[in-house]
Amino acid sequence: MEIQVAIIILLIAVIITELALFLLATIVQLFKINAGLSVVLPLVGQIVAKTNPVNPVVDDINVNLVVTRDALENLMLKKGGPDSAGLVESLFPGEGAKFLRRVNRSGKVINVGTVYTRGVGILAGLGRGAPIGAAHSKGSAIRDPQYSTSEVAKLYPAPPDRRDPTQNIPKAPVIGKDPVHSPYEAAVTPGTRTRDAQGQKIETPPPPPAPEPAPTGGGASAPPPSAAGAPADPPPAEPVPAQPPPADPPSTPGRLSAKGSRPWER
Amino acid sequence: MADAALWIMVIILAVVIVVLLQLLKRILMAATSIPPKIDAIAGVAAAGSKDLDAVAVLLTTQGYIKSIRASVLDYGGSLDAALPDY
Repeated sequence: MEIQVAIIILLIAVIITELALFLLATIVQLFKINAGLSVVLPLVGQIVAKTNPVNPVVDDINVNLVVTRDALENLMLKKGGPDSAGLVESLFPGEGAKFLRRVNRSGKVINVGTVYTRGVGILAGLGRGAPIGAAHSKGSAIRDPQYSTSEVAKLYPAPPDRRDPTQNIPKAPVIGKDPVHSPYEAAVTPGTRTRDAQGQKIETPPPPPAPEPAPTGGGASAPPPSAAGAPADPPPAEPVPAQPPPADPPSTPGRLSAKGSRPWER
Repeated sequence: MADAALWIMVIILAVVIVVLLQLLKRILMAATSIPPKIDAIAGVAAAGSKDLDAVAVLLTTQGYIKSIRASVLDYGGSLDAALPDY
């Protein structure tokens, strides 16, 4: 037998041995895998069986919660009116806009908590006899209006600087920048009232008459300084009343003294 | 001529042995890496299955939610009657 044939036979034997060894090792590992999967699969089956009834139970819980939430939101909308979203916003910041979307409303959400402190808000909502709550109600005051402010007086018995700091009395209500029920109107002209103290509209006052030119009498008016031609001392400027001066206020255009004619300036 | 062909066959067989050895080695490594992962999965599945035993409490929660819903709706009805509308 030639040497090449012997080597070939030897190599084939090595190949067969190699195949046998590795395949046997792989078979052993596959047996281990099979055993492991036989352990895992029943556990997965248990998980599937235990989670199977979860979905309908959770759906039922969600339905109940949504129904309850809708009922409470409708109640709040019925009782709070346009302030509902502000109330929600004051308790849960960021939820006011979502509340409006859920109830198919639109508008600006104003945090009621920045307008009223909690005590005043409660008084405003519950006690329509309170002055701040009376503005929210359509009908007449339910409680006695004479004593309805006593609760507020308990809340704010004294100015802040004279309160007992140990009592933790809440701060006075802060009026927001854009309160919903502002009793004031924006002034058309600064300094001009559109309503009087009783809330009645004030008629627009007529424009003040233009000042009439002073009558040019014979020697009543002093000549202009340029006409004099000399730097002589000017005569004392005494206004010559061409017409009787108005009684109130006194027109004193020629006064050089800062002292006025008002009682506190004398 | 016959000798040359035999030598070529020897060389080819040698190359085949090396390639086959590498391939079988990789197959064995892959097969060896699977059982530990299966053991880990078995542990997690057992723990998960044990944790899911508390799912049965959801039935109790469901009952509680129903009773709470009824109470809240009754309370809302009372508030509706007690408080004036806006």
